This record gives sequence, structure tokens and C-alpha cells, in this order.
Amino acid sequence: MKASLNWLNEYVEIPSDTQAFCDRLDLTGTGVEGVEVLGDTFDHIVTAQVVSKEHHPDSDHMWVCMVDVGDNNLDEHGDPAPLQIVCGAQNFNEGDHIVTAMVGAELPGDIKIKKSKLRGVVSNGMNCSARELGLGSDHDGIMILPEDAPVGIPFSEYFKNTDTVLDLEITPNRPDCLSIKGLAREIGAMYQRDWTDPLSEAAASMEASNSNQRLEDIADITIEDARRCPRYTARIIKGVKIGPSPDWMVERLAALGQRSINNIVDVTNYILFLYGQPLHSFDLNKLIGQDGKAHVVIRAAKPNERLTTLDGVDRELTEDMTVIATPDRGAVALAGVMGGLDTEITDETTDILIEAATFEPGRTSRTSRNLGLISESSLRYERGVDDWEIDIRSAAACALIVEVAGGQIVAADSNDDAILDEWPLKTEPRSLRFRTDRFNSFVGADIPESFITDVLTRLGCTVSAADDEGVLEVLAPTFRPDLEREIDLYEEVLRLWGMDRITSTLPTSAKRVGVITRESRVKSMLNHTLRSSGLNETMTYSFAEPGDMERLKMEPEEGTIAVELLNPLNSEQSVMRQSIIPGLLRSLAYNLSRSVDNVQLYEIGTVFSTAQGRKKPKEKTKVAALMTGAMGNDSWNFRPERFDFFDGKGIIENLIREMALPKPKFKPLEAADAKFLQPGRAAEVYSGGAKLGWVGEIHPKVAQDFEIDAPVVAFELDVDTLDKCMQPARPFVDVPTYPAIEIDQNFVVKDNVTNEKLIQVMGSAGGKLLEDVSLFDVYRDDERVGAGKKSMAYKLIYRAPDRTLTADEVERAHEKLVKKVCGATGAEVRG
Amino acid sequence: MAVLDELTALRAQTLNDIANAATTAELESVRIAVLGKSGSLTGYLRSMGSVAKEERAEVGKAVNAAREAIEGALDEALCTLKTKELDAAIDAAAVDITLPGRSQQIGTRHLINNIIDDLTEIFLGLGYTVGTGPEVETDYYNFTALNAPADHPSRSMQDTFYVKDLSGDVADVDGESDVLLRTQTSGVQVHFMEDQELPIYMIAPGKVYRRDVADPSHLPQFHQIEGLVVDEGITFGDLKGTLEYICKAIFGADRKTRFRAHYFPFTEPSAEVDVSCGICHGEGCRMCKGTGWLEILGCGMVDPNVLEMSGIDPERYSGFAFGMGVERIACLKYNVPDLRMLLEGDMRFLRQF
Repeated sequence: MKASLNWLNEYVEIPSDTQAFCDRLDLTGTGVEGVEVLGDTFDHIVTAQVVSKEHHPDSDHMWVCMVDVGDNNLDEHGDPAPLQIVCGAQNFNEGDHIVTAMVGAELPGDIKIKKSKLRGVVSNGMNCSARELGLGSDHDGIMILPEDAPVGIPFSEYFKNTDTVLDLEITPNRPDCLSIKGLAREIGAMYQRDWTDPLSEAAASMEASNSNQRLEDIADITIEDARRCPRYTARIIKGVKIGPSPDWMVERLAALGQRSINNIVDVTNYILFLYGQPLHSFDLNKLIGQDGKAHVVIRAAKPNERLTTLDGVDRELTEDMTVIATPDRGAVALAGVMGGLDTEITDETTDILIEAATFEPGRTSRTSRNLGLISESSLRYERGVDDWEIDIRSAAACALIVEVAGGQIVAADSNDDAILDEWPLKTEPRSLRFRTDRFNSFVGADIPESFITDVLTRLGCTVSAADDEGVLEVLAPTFRPDLEREIDLYEEVLRLWGMDRITSTLPTSAKRVGVITRESRVKSMLNHTLRSSGLNETMTYSFAEPGDMERLKMEPEEGTIAVELLNPLNSEQSVMRQSIIPGLLRSLAYNLSRSVDNVQLYEIGTVFSTAQGRKKPKEKTKVAALMTGAMGNDSWNFRPERFDFFDGKGIIENLIREMALPKPKFKPLEAADAKFLQPGRAAEVYSGGAKLGWVGEIHPKVAQDFEIDAPVVAFELDVDTLDKCMQPARPFVDVPTYPAIEIDQNFVVKDNVTNEKLIQVMGSAGGKLLEDVSLFDVYRDDERVGAGKKSMAYKLIYRAPDRTLTADEVERAHEKLVKKVCGATGAEVRG
Repeated sequence: MAVLDELTALRAQTLNDIANAATTAELESVRIAVLGKSGSLTGYLRSMGSVAKEERAEVGKAVNAAREAIEGALDEALCTLKTKELDAAIDAAAVDITLPGRSQQIGTRHLINNIIDDLTEIFLGLGYTVGTGPEVETDYYNFTALNAPADHPSRSMQDTFYVKDLSGDVADVDGESDVLLRTQTSGVQVHFMEDQELPIYMIAPGKVYRRDVADPSHLPQFHQIEGLVVDEGITFGDLKGTLEYICKAIFGADRKTRFRAHYFPFTEPSAEVDVSCGICHGEGCRMCKGTGWLEILGCGMVDPNVLEMSGIDPERYSGFAFGMGVERIACLKYNVPDLRMLLEGDMRFLRQF
């Protein structure tokens, strides 16, 4: 809502310190989003006098004039020199005082004045009309100033009529503040200052004329559903002359950013801004049906009913929408949102019907949202227009129309007020209790009852004297639909008392204990371990491209489909992700394209899926990581290895250790089961029988589809499963007291014999004495080891918990072990 | 006696050799040559049997004296040489200590989660529990239970992402549905009020979604930390005191706060909270758009309707709630010029935090 301080100042005294005023508005709940000082815009625009005026040599309607602008233009000697200006206006003479925009000026409407040539004659500026200066609608000629106007001073200095316009953020609970009148009342309460209601006087000046035709003969109103339209009024004015509005109104409207259209439309806008009452003016003759009467019906739109609105768009309506209709024409306006094109006021219009009404807020809001039509009217109706005093606001409007456009208001038979008024659903003022003691203990302050009463009264409430228990009876006005409960009154008093005046305290309760959820704890363990493993946490979009999974060649979980957004921002973000990997691949490509070649990323986040018949999607928390390049650049004393499968696996092993998960099992993933991974370098991860996820190298072809030309190691694990598998604590094992005997042993096996197999056989063959086995070398050499074979070297540790082992004992056990391994795996032992 | 002369000469010669030995190895060869199994002095000891009986005592005495002297000199020389050699070795081992160390890369926490961690810690210290909830919510938990009117503009398709409802239910407004991406974490608070015992002191940090096109100052997904307190005797002063404490904990003890009355459906009375600008300290600058204040959070006393909807008696209990944008805090603390950097995963950005 824009508010002109000059306009407001007519009804309530505005503090002269604008900054302090804005601060007070801000703190009491009316946000100031912008402050514009009008008149500042008259830069390079000066008062001037026409020195000479001659015919343009090449045009019969243009003039070449010399214009005295005083000191604003100097010749080479530093003396004032008149400017040559080519001018098309006809309404001026030599010696006239005028307003001239010099080169460099900017006029409203983004017109920049430059030195130019008009039909070959140089022009150094422009003589301005009132309209060009944004000061009125007069465009018949340039603005002629009185003879005593000084020459060559800045126009803003001459004009002196500067105004400050505030751009105010009115919260949705305050429809009353969407008007100058409401703001005047609010400011009065802010400063405990009296204000004048502009309405009473304006309405009193309305006079109906007694013509032979009475209002009831010309029109009637039928409201089909009172909830849709609690009140509808109409007045008729005959014999108006459509034309420009007076300057004062154009100025008022321009200050609020509203362009002048014609006198009738301008009045409706003026009343809308002044009182917050949207009006609609119909061309009466277009409403009158074959029976010679305008039957105005307010009803639900019919299925498939159509209406071409004022903006020229043909719209299909739904039954949820309310329309103004006549039996002959059907819908003629969308109630509260926009009028129809066919019944609009035109230059030929003489008789008008002025609608002043109120419509159901929720329905208006839905209608304007469904049609994408937001207007000053819909904005007010959807927040609620007070059904009381509509007749008075309408009277003020009609009085003003007669003042600016002439015409006569048609009198009514049934009332002295010349109005058709249907009011089937009346809002009753609410009676509320205000417990002053409770209020003060709720706020934590001691605000006197006198302040409470005064401020509520100034806001428009009727407040009774307090009873013995300090309870006030408060009657809330109908223009404040937000004052429904006692608490709503508390807010009013608190904000106007000033939140800054309340003493800060901390809750005194001792009954609180800070706890973090198990979920946060699990995530925190994951984060610590992954970061200790060198990975960097990132975040990517939860949105995904519908084709992401296909591009990744990853199968969604069986029986699930992607979660679709009904109103995505763009097609690349129209579904919710089913895996974190595509997002990470995009980030990886982003890095690689910027020559960042060592990338280690992880994200813990939600993935989404749904199924036919489901309302809410399923959400799962996943942890995913990607690694490309190495863990940092080569250093002078350290060369990080290029990442491969085992870096991914190693990090998972860290996780399993840190989270105390049961023994993991890595099962090879066949090409058919994970097309997005490189066959032979992919595994499913299990722990204690539960599937945690997968680890592997992204298939080079898939990587290429994501614009990545480098080996990528990745994994994605299910966090909820990790959580479920976590053991409360690992069992304690006593630190060994007796010495161990270590034996290094190599086995030459065929390539298809796995480490897992060898360790398993050693484990069962080694018996109790074998404490640990670790692989320390894998060696392949066609000549020395043999083609298709590998030499696996293990360190075996033998120890007994209760004594020192003898060499003989270990030798025997080890020999048995080697024999069993060879037997079970076809291994050979080489020297 | 010729033997004695020889011994004197040997002793002198050996002491001289010891003095001249430059390394422990040279010293060792001197020792072996004189005192070793076939050393020259050892030879005299061995051949004592062939010395005339009357001379034996005198010669023996001389040999022992020579051995003692030589051994003493050897020990002393060894000690000196060892020290010298260690000094030399230390000298030789000196490195350019400005060369980089050898370290294992430690990963980094994302800036946003870093801030959430910090705030969580502060609230845990105040005795608040941390809660979480789903990112896809029903209209009820995101709006209705929070007292948002059925036609509140924040529910519009321009502001809220709606999800296709596959259950067959149809929404009132075209293009909307009952299921949506949460626009706030307040739903977590409602679940908390329904499920937990009173009093409640909790925060809910999490990802939320609003339909803003990504640009330097907007993201369609971002993070909020919302808090809720419900207890007997909670006052607006408690709300003020708590949030002033939080703002100082985040931004520093020298920062001021101010409360501006505002409107939120969830709270009544409601306020927005500003902290004084850290750059101009309230004078007004580009950072704070000349106001001297930076908007940081929204808050208010929990609306009695909200309490009632969750089965809590508003005559007995009162409470406050607040919500702050984590990205906003990140911007204010680190001056991040473009919020989109938070979602790009650029290593050069991530590795800074």
C-alpha cells in the first residue's frame, strides 16, 4: 500500500521527522518498504520565459522559440543565453512564463530529454505540459505559469508541492490499513493523537435529484447466496460526461502510482484508496434488458460459463467463482476481481450504475489465484471489506462523481438515500473480554489500564470501564475482522505500548532437559567419520530431472515411482530425487569443468519415492559419496594414490568400525544388477544380514553421460538401515599379556580365488591359536607366479591368551593351516 | 731394561694415536691394535711368562699402568668423539622446517550444517530438545494446524511446491493438492505438541522449500531452524530474553536486537527481530540498506488456536515460537555473494569451511 503523507496529513497530524515516523511504523507492525520524495524528480526542469516564437521553416504546426532559462544556460562569455527549443504546442505567446525541461532532464514515464534536431532545426529541450510533468491530465498545451513567476529557478523550488510517499507492507490481518482512512486511524493510535474521519462530510454532500424515473424502476438486485455476497448496493447516476479528472485528483492518484484514466474510473480508484472500498462502474444501458430494466444478479458462475474481462481475456469460469450477471447478458463481472469488457464505461457512456459491495474473502482469493488475476480490488476483497458503511462510502463516491463528471443521482422510492441495498448477511461487532491482570502476566509487564483503554478506543473499539477484577468489555469494530479473541487485543496493546519497553527474561522452568534425537546422533557419527576419511560435505538439489535415473541407468526401488511436483520451477527440477548420486555427479562435472580434478564429496540427505494409491511419498535418508582424482595434490614428500574401488570400500569399513556395525560382507554386483557401475568393480554392502547399499566405480559410459571423463568411485548407503544395525557398544577384549608369534606366509592361487575365501579357510584351519590374519601383498607375474595366478602374502599372528606359545606348537599349527588352505583352494606355496 | 723402554714407547705411541683418532671407528682400531686379542699390549701380558722372574713384578706393574692409562684415554676420547659425531649427525639432519608437513586430508562440513551445528549446541545448552520431521507434509501439518487461513496467500501455487497426490483425493484449487514440500519446519512442532509431554522446549532444524527461482539471494530449497516453547507462565519477556541471548550467541555480544510487531498466523502477538548491522554498527550502510538493522528471525507467542488444536489448554499454558533462515545467517556472517554457491558443490568453496 502506498501512502501519501500530504494526503494522510489532511486527516491526522504526521510527525515532521519522517525517519522517526517510519521507525515507529516499523516497530508497531506497519513495515516501511520504501520512502519516495516526490518533486525530487524535477531535476534539470526550470521555470522559463518565451523570448521569441517563430514559425518552423519546414513545418506548419511547429514553432522555433528562444526560451530564457536565466543562469541555467550561459554563452561563451559566461552570460545567460536563451535556449533554442522547437515546440509543437499552440497555446503560448512571446512573454509567457513556462516550464522547460533542459537536456539531461528525466520526465515521468522514463522520457529522457536530449539535444535533438526536429526537421532540421536544433532543439535544446522541451517545454512541458502538466501531464508531461505528472501533475495532471491537461495535455492540450504547455503549462503556462502566472506572469509573476520567477525565471530560471528549479521547478521543484517553484512548485514547492513536494510530497513523501511511503510504500507500506500491510500484513494480511489488517485490511483496514489498505486505505488512507484506516492508516489515519492507525497513526492516531500510534501517537495517541486525534484524527478526522473524511467520510462523514464527503457522504453528506451527496444529493439525489427527483427525476420522474425512480431507482426501483431502473434496476433491482438479487443475491442468490448470502455467503458469497453479504451485501450489495447500487446507485445510478444519469447524464455524466466522461472526461479528464481534475488535477488535484490526478495528483493524488499519481502519488500512489495510479495512472489517471477518466473521471469516473479515477473516482472509483480514489475512493478505493481513501476508504478501502472497491467500486465498480457499469455502463447502465448495457445492463438494461429487454424489459427495460437492469436485473442485477449475484450468483455462482455456471459450469463452462465464459466472460471476457476488462483486460480483453476471454476466461472460462467455474462454479466456485461468483459473478455479477443479468438475465439477458449472463455474467457481466467477476465479483470482486474484475469487470467485464462488454459493460465497461466508454467515452460515449452517459448513465452509470455504481456497485459498492462486499464478497466472500476466501472465494475471491481462490478466484484470483485460479485465474492469475490480482487487482487492487481483489487484494482488498480477499482480506475482507467491511460490510458496514458501504452505503456511506458509496454516497461519498457518487457525490464525487457528480462533482467531477456532472450528472444526476437517481432517487429511490424506498429510501431517502437513493440506493438499492441488499444486505442479507450482517457482520455483528464482537464483544470481547480483556483481563488486564492476565494480559500483564502474559506479556511480563505492568501496562496501566488507562493506556489499554485509550489505545483500544483509538483503534475503533468501544471499551467499557473495568469491573472489580480488572476485566474490560471490548466491542471490536467490524472493520477489524482480525480482532476475534482476547489475545488479538493483547497484540494491539503490546505493539502500540512498544515491544522494546518489555523487560527481557528467560523462562524459569527447571523441568527441561536438552536431548538430541538418535537420528541426529547417527548423522553426527556419519559426518565425523566421513570427514575424518577426507570427504567434504556438500548439498545438492532435492529436485531432479525426470530422466535422471534412466541416464544413470539405476533402477528405482521395486514398485516405486518418482514423486512428481505439480508446479515445478522448470522441467529439469520437476521430480524429487530418488538417489543423491545424479546431483553429486553434476557437482563433480561442475568441478572438473573448472579444472578442479581432485574431488571428494558426500551428502547426507533425503530421497523420495511413491506408488500409485499413496498420498504421502516415502522418504529415506541416504548417505552418498563420490571421489575422483586423489586425496589432494602430489606433495614433495607424499604422493596420494589415485582413487579406486578400495578407497570407497575403505571409507565404508571406517563407518562400520565407528558405528559398531556387525561384520560387513561385500558381495560382487553383477553387470545386470547395477548397470550404472563398472562390472568387476562393484559390490553390495551387507552388515549382519541387512543390505546397507552399494559401493563401486561408476560405469565410464554413465560418467560420460554426465559429462565426466574420469574414473569415479562412489557409494550410497541407507542411513536408517545403518542406524538399525548399530550395536550399542563393541564388547571389550582384554589387551594381550603374552607374546605373539608372527609368520609371513604366501599362497599362489588362481585369479578367481578370493581373499575372502583364503581368510575364511585360514580362520577355520588356524583354530584358537590364530589371532589375526592380514593381507600385505598381492603379486602377479606371468613368469615367476604363472599366468592367471597371483601370489597372496599374509601376516599370521599366533597367540594364546594364557601362556607363551612354543615355537614347536606354532609350527605344527601353521603346517596344518597351510595344508588345509592348499587343499581347499588349490593354493601352492612358493619359497 | 729393554722391555720397560718398549712399554714406555708403546704407551706414548698409543696415547698419541688416541689423541689423533678422528672418528669412533679409528679409535676402535687403535683399541683393537693395542688391547684386542692380538693387540700389542695384550702381547706383553701374554708373554709375561717369558720375563725373568726378578723382573716380572716390575714389568707387570708397567704393563698394567700402561693399560690403565690407555683405557682411560680411550674412554675419554670415545666420549668426546661420540658427542662430536652426534653433533655432526644433528647438523646434517637439519631440514627446511618451512617445507609442508605430511598430513591426511580432513574433510569439511558444509557451511549451512556448520551453522546448524553451532545453533543446535547453543539451544542444547539452554535445555532444548532437537526434533526432526518429514520434508513432504500434508496441507494440515504445514498450514492448517498452524492456523493459516484456508486461503492464505502463502498456500498459493506461486509460493508452495505441491506434490502429485496419488491417493485419489482432489484439492479445492486447481493445480494444488493436499501434499506439499514443507515451507517451514513448524510441522515438526505440531507433531511434537501432539506427541510429547509438557513442558516443551524444542528446536527443529531442517530443509524447507519455497517456490523462488534460484538467484543470488533466493533458493527454492533452504534451511530453517524453528523453535517452540510451551510451558506454564511463559511471557513475551521470556521470548525477548531468549532471542536476545541467541542473537548475541550467533553474532557477538556487542550486537543489539529490536522487535518489530508483525503478523504470522501461527503466533499472536507476532514480531520480526532485527540485529544491529555488524558492518556500520547501526549507522546505516549498503549491507543493511541504510537502516542500521538486519532482519534475522520471525517469532511470537503461540496462538491459542494452535495450542488448542494440539490438545493443550491455552488458559493454563502459554508459549513462544520462532524461526530463522540458516542461509540468511550464513550470508550475514560470511557475506556469501551468491546463495547458489551453497548448492554447487564447488570444492574451492566447500574447502573453506
